[in-house]
Amino acid sequence: MSYIKIRNLNFSYKDDEGNPESVLRDLSLDIEKGEYVAVLGHNGSGKSTLAKLLNLVIEDYDYFEGSIEIDGMEISSPNMTEDDVYELRKKVGMVFQNPDNQIVATIVEEDVAFGPENLGLPREEIRARVDEALRIVGMTEYSRHEPHRLSGGQKQRIAIAGIIAMRPDCIIFDESTAMLDPMGRREVVNTMEKLNREDGKTIITITHYMDEAVRADRVIVIDDGRIILDGKPSEIFAKADKIRECGLDLPLCSDLLIKLRERGIRLDGEINTPEQCAETIARSLLK
Amino acid sequence: MSKIKVENVSFVYSAGTPFEVKALDDVTIEIKENTITGIIGHTGSGKSTLVQMFNGLVKPMSGRILLDGEDIWEKPKSIGSVRYRVGLVMQYPEYQLFEDTVIEDISFGPKNMGLDPDEIKKRVLEACELVGLDFDMLSKSPFDLSGGQKRRAAIAGVMAMRPEVLVLDEPAAGLDPAGRNSIFDGIKRYADATGAAVIIVSHSMDDMAKYCDELVVLSHSKVAMFGNRKEVFSRSRELEAIGLGVPQITRLVMLLRDKGIEISPDIYTVDEAETALAALFGGGV
Repeated sequence: MSYIKIRNLNFSYKDDEGNPESVLRDLSLDIEKGEYVAVLGHNGSGKSTLAKLLNLVIEDYDYFEGSIEIDGMEISSPNMTEDDVYELRKKVGMVFQNPDNQIVATIVEEDVAFGPENLGLPREEIRARVDEALRIVGMTEYSRHEPHRLSGGQKQRIAIAGIIAMRPDCIIFDESTAMLDPMGRREVVNTMEKLNREDGKTIITITHYMDEAVRADRVIVIDDGRIILDGKPSEIFAKADKIRECGLDLPLCSDLLIKLRERGIRLDGEINTPEQCAETIARSLLK
Repeated sequence: MSKIKVENVSFVYSAGTPFEVKALDDVTIEIKENTITGIIGHTGSGKSTLVQMFNGLVKPMSGRILLDGEDIWEKPKSIGSVRYRVGLVMQYPEYQLFEDTVIEDISFGPKNMGLDPDEIKKRVLEACELVGLDFDMLSKSPFDLSGGQKRRAAIAGVMAMRPEVLVLDEPAAGLDPAGRNSIFDGIKRYADATGAAVIIVSHSMDDMAKYCDELVVLSHSKVAMFGNRKEVFSRSRELEAIGLGVPQITRLVMLLRDKGIEISPDIYTVDEAETALAALFGGGV
């Protein structure tokens, strides 16, 4: 059974006059445990709403039709109690865009301990979880530092550690690299990849950066509240016209190789990352 | 021609306290007219402090900022007039929209300059055209626009003052690819139409490679590199070392060169790479 199972989901917000404004339309989706999924779509496509629903950060059942099941729990049910919501958030954690909005304590390790403390865990257990989480994000040496003195990428990794300490199965990153410099982006994306490959976490990342999306196993493109593409990165980015129609773009190196192919140059092979593109060009040029 | 000169500028936050932080340390650069200059640097490198000095929001603790050869702090009381000549678009400028309609918002700057209504109208329409904002939007409330449209309206508000220097701090942050392109194309149109000196702060090496003529690299409050695209991006290893990296296309070119393929290292954009590689493949047939 799928870890996340969404069936015929319709969701709308109410505009100023109280009329429903449709955001997600008849959306169905399955995500298995351990998948690494990137969700793409232009601003306003509905991708962030989808992510927030998976963690019930939006809890408005009035405008909600269809069902969302996570790890066998029907989270779209009106019978969800507050305890159920807490239970869900232990399974699915979320990292947001602005690192400064996610840090609550004045010492790094206290910030990471905030979640497990609220679970009422014994002291030793909290200690163990905090140490483990900081180790996974590579921030152990900063455990006694003040978060506001860290770089954006480091702060974001602290926010991730805070989620890891809750031991969720799945972590959703809602444009978590948008405000970071190149180094910070690299740190966060490497952490996502590590959490997936080494710890088996299910990763869902929402991003506008195509070069980040190609690193996932699966890419989903949402447009106008519907899933219009779903597949491996290489399958998705082969559909250049469709991608551009949705206000998105190809990763730059893929774009280059497609343009060369359009000129009639034969280039066989994968063209997602700069490394793959270099390999493909070299094979064709040097043969 | 040189429009702005930053001469030996330094700035320290919380000076004289245990929390003293050096933001800029003896920075000297020159910004030219008719040129798009990019400022890059990691978080905390001093970019935003520098950007706020161009229009006098932050005053250097030592050193001078020269606009057309004149020290902008020569007569501190007239610093207000510098802000009409040097327009600053801050990060997430859409949060600063406040009027009832888009047209009033874009008119706010020119109105404060004391221009007559016809001139204001002319400039507002011109600015909308440059950023690609439909005239239908003008009568709407700014809050009825999409994120990308709001951003463009906010930028148009600064362009409508027709500044001789246009400074933009992360103008495309948080936008989708189509939104990014439309913002940068608008900035480019402004630069071409007015011959202004344009300064862009961005974290995207790819956008910088595509749109900027000159680049300033800040690292730990100092100027680490300053020169044209080629001069800066040819120092890729140093850029990597300060945590910035190179454009994706440049990275691909470096990988190809490592494999023994003879391609010029001075390639930064998709178009440039397409031309060079097509030639290597024998004209693309």
